Amino acid sequence: MCICDLTVGKKGYICDIQGNELLAKRLLSLGATYGTEVCIKNYAPLGDPIIISFRGFDLAIRKKDAKYIYVKEA
Amino acid sequence: MTIAALLGNPNVGKTTLFNALTGSKQYVGNWPGVTVEKKEGFIDKSIKIVDLPGIYALDTFSNEEKISKNFLLNENVDVIINIVDASNLSRNLYLTMQLKQFKKPIILILNMIDVAEFKGIKIDFDKLSKELNVMIIPISASKGIGIDKVKMLLMSSNFLKHLDDNDYHFSSEKDTYEYIESILKKCITYSKKNIITPTEKIDKIVLNKFLAYPIFLTCLYFIFKFTFSYVGQPLSDLLDSSLNDYLVPLAENLLSNSSPWFKSLIIDGVIGGVGSVIVFLPIILSLFLGISFLEDSGYMARAAFIMDKLMRKMGLSGKAFIPMIVGFGCSVPGIMSARTLESEKDRKLTALLVPLMSCNARLPVYALFASIFFPKKQTLVVFSLYILGIALSFLVGLIFKNTIFKKDEEPFVIELPEYKMPEMKSLFIHTWDKGKGFLKKAGTLIFSISVIVWFLSNFNFSGMSDINSSFLSNIGRFINPIFIPLGFGKWQNSVSLLTGLMAKEVVVGTMGVIYGGDLSQMLKTAFTPLSAYSFLVFVLLYTPCISVIATMKKEYGLKMAAFSVFYQLILAWMVSFVIYNAGKLIF
Ligand SMILES: Nc1nc2c(ncn2[C@@H]2O[C@H](COP(=O)(O)OP(=O)(O)OP(=O)(O)O)[C@@H](O)[C@H]2O)c(=O)[nH]1
Ligand SMILES: [Mg+2]
Repeated sequence: MCICDLTVGKKGYICDIQGNELLAKRLLSLGATYGTEVCIKNYAPLGDPIIISFRGFDLAIRKKDAKYIYVKEA
Repeated sequence: MTIAALLGNPNVGKTTLFNALTGSKQYVGNWPGVTVEKKEGFIDKSIKIVDLPGIYALDTFSNEEKISKNFLLNENVDVIINIVDASNLSRNLYLTMQLKQFKKPIILILNMIDVAEFKGIKIDFDKLSKELNVMIIPISASKGIGIDKVKMLLMSSNFLKHLDDNDYHFSSEKDTYEYIESILKKCITYSKKNIITPTEKIDKIVLNKFLAYPIFLTCLYFIFKFTFSYVGQPLSDLLDSSLNDYLVPLAENLLSNSSPWFKSLIIDGVIGGVGSVIVFLPIILSLFLGISFLEDSGYMARAAFIMDKLMRKMGLSGKAFIPMIVGFGCSVPGIMSARTLESEKDRKLTALLVPLMSCNARLPVYALFASIFFPKKQTLVVFSLYILGIALSFLVGLIFKNTIFKKDEEPFVIELPEYKMPEMKSLFIHTWDKGKGFLKKAGTLIFSISVIVWFLSNFNFSGMSDINSSFLSNIGRFINPIFIPLGFGKWQNSVSLLTGLMAKEVVVGTMGVIYGGDLSQMLKTAFTPLSAYSFLVFVLLYTPCISVIATMKKEYGLKMAAFSVFYQLILAWMVSFVIYNAGKLIF
């Protein structure tokens, strides 16, 4: 499943990141590595983008990019 | 000389430390990407400190990150001051691991110790220092804790002995993070677990589906209220009346024996020109204080977040909204901060839109006209101009996106920092610094233009003349026809707009000189409320001042600068035309 399928506040673990190469690389350097715990914190008022949280900080990202972050439910 | 480079993730307090070490006043704000250029400062003449844009990792993603990387690669850096957020060590240390590969002495500064403590994070500094094999100094840059230790260490040169020869090449990000986590596990204990932080509580409200946009507008509106009703305007009025009641009679007294032309130069030229601008200092400072508060609170990144969906319609990302808000202060830093955007097209498009955000320099013009023509509705009238600027930037953005800037969407990522109570002391220091800048501008640029305008309005080829046959009136009459369809076509107004190209405050200064006497009385005869509003719209939209044009040229070349000048002139004319003529039909 992808991270967008998690409900707000529910935890998951990152399995894989695909899509835009630069972005995937950036997310990896930010610490979104295999097995990292991640959750969705918030949706923007118009439903997109979303705020995800891992390793203790929050990151805003669009749904269409988040679609490529695959997770395992905790 | 020792060269020390400040490196670290965005928004960890590099500039705050830089300012504390060198006594500079570089801009600090609570969002990632405030610093976009390298800045140099000194301790003791023998140690050069270089503040750089924040970077998450060396696989640079955006333009300003390249500046930091190139600096490290190409300059003779003697020591790296790697500053990290103590409340979020694991991600911050990732960069540290990459910096270690440069084989330079590193001083690791753990900043925001106060935040870490608040979150119940206890760090064993000695152990961490041993494990990471670097010197560590815990500090709290904004609270001024530990700065002396950093200074002392830098001056002692002890850091030069400390070099780590180990190899820090990892095969993947995952390995690096596992290594970091294994160290942190030995050195950190958490005393509070799973608490809901104040930031989470605030975000629940501020990002709420129904409240988010109203809260955003209310924030802006409150800042305007603060400026026009509570603080700025009343102080400004006070300054204005003391100028008219004391300074002018005083000058008249002192100059009673000097020649008429000199008296006229001082009273009509200098006091009329410079004075009529300076009285707006309180208004400018109030608005600046309000915007700084917003910038330092942590709200900026949230504004980018809630605006993303709208900005996308223009092919931009929410991040592009930040340069626009910065542009409310001054377009120059706004255009500079477009550097944080991912693609060249994004940067260009944003830079073209930033000047449509109403900057501080236009405020004196609004304040003057609004207080004369719309005395009861000042806040509303000025607010409407700001909103008009924003709305038009969207419209223009849409048009550009579908014509000259056709492009793919870039991915959008931005870190959302935690909210902070802005440090009042630094807020005031900064506001005062802006005030000094404004006074300096008044004393130099506005002063000289006032003198020139005074000269041109009192002389022609045959010597001293009546204003209506002066050089100035001839220039004004020449360009005047352009403005007649907009409702304010009098040569005095045309000339004011022309001089406003130097700086928009000058519009008021010039009017002060040529209309002479009490501006509020004189302007009432020259404008109707409708033509006054049309004039304000023109001032809002027309070609930005000379420093903006120069910045545009420096960042994006002559063609872009020329384009921005002309498109804004045309836009300003068209919108004023529509507003004036539609207004005439209605009223
Ligand atoms: N609580 C707390 N806040 C701090 C401390 N140091 C800095 N800040 C705040 O952190 C925010 C970011 O500070 P900056 O100095 O602009 O950070 P920077 O690293 O230069 O950021 P960029 O230029 O965007 O990379 C500001 O709001 C500061 O007031 C600290 O020790 N404690
Ligand atoms: Mg900075």
